[in-house]
Amino acid sequence: MTTEAATTRDRFEQEALQHLDALYRTALRMTRNPSDAEDLVQDALVRAYRFYDRFEQGTNFRAWLFKILTNTYINSYRRKQGRPQESSLEDTEDFFLYNQLSNDGDRVTDVEDTVLDRLGADDIQRAIDQLPPQFRTTVQLADVEGLSYAEVAEATGVAKGTVMSRLFRGRRLLQRALWDQARGAGFTSGSKVHQEQPSPPLPDGEGSGSLVGGRRR
Amino acid sequence: MINCTSCIQALHQYIDRELSDEDIVQVKEHLDACRGCLHQFQFEASLRRLVRVRCQQLQAPESLRAKIEARLASERRRFLNK
Repeated sequence: MTTEAATTRDRFEQEALQHLDALYRTALRMTRNPSDAEDLVQDALVRAYRFYDRFEQGTNFRAWLFKILTNTYINSYRRKQGRPQESSLEDTEDFFLYNQLSNDGDRVTDVEDTVLDRLGADDIQRAIDQLPPQFRTTVQLADVEGLSYAEVAEATGVAKGTVMSRLFRGRRLLQRALWDQARGAGFTSGSKVHQEQPSPPLPDGEGSGSLVGGRRR
Repeated sequence: MINCTSCIQALHQYIDRELSDEDIVQVKEHLDACRGCLHQFQFEASLRRLVRVRCQQLQAPESLRAKIEARLASERRRFLNK
């Protein structure tokens, strides 16, 4: 290998590993399985390494890497995983959460003031995982990894208009799924779910009343 | 000035920074004048932040980085021997 080629290979490794977390997160949303996600990222990066001569310098390296990740997933993993699980998520109106949380002219302006702020990383990832595959990847790339519409289009091999419609529909479904996560975790009881709500009662036998009563005696 | 319907329709693209400069001015002008749309914008933007910040906490396992470095090193040797 010439010095120039070696330098190019070094550059690949350096640049590609900067995107490792993003690639792994996206692979995990695609496969929904940590071990498959690790294998997928490895296979994709080896392919990218082999095809690196075909990458046009000066164009978008990150979108190119995600494109290889997507193709590797479609060619090797999706088949292995069989039919995608049908999602039972109900489609909703636009801005579902805002409408759920703003009642009687009392409008929310920040998720921090709502029960949604109690959702942890795991809850939110579970919500994304409930989206049908094409919406899931699009939402992950745009909303978590911060790719532009054009980058998502390149990464997923569809037109920009398709990205936009998947993204808007995917976000509607995500809002529904986030709501379901919050409800499933017991953060919400009715439709009005601001943070001021008292915390949920403790399980039987652990209520503060009996403990206090016992000590007082 | 654009009306509420046009503003709300453009809201996602506005948050995504995918509008033309001209449209950005139109949306901004409306948001400055309309509290209802402003609140909705602030809520959607904060929701977007919540999803991004929480999900970005997830990092690739260190062991994966090591495995990739090893596989790329072996690829490199193959190139070298060509």
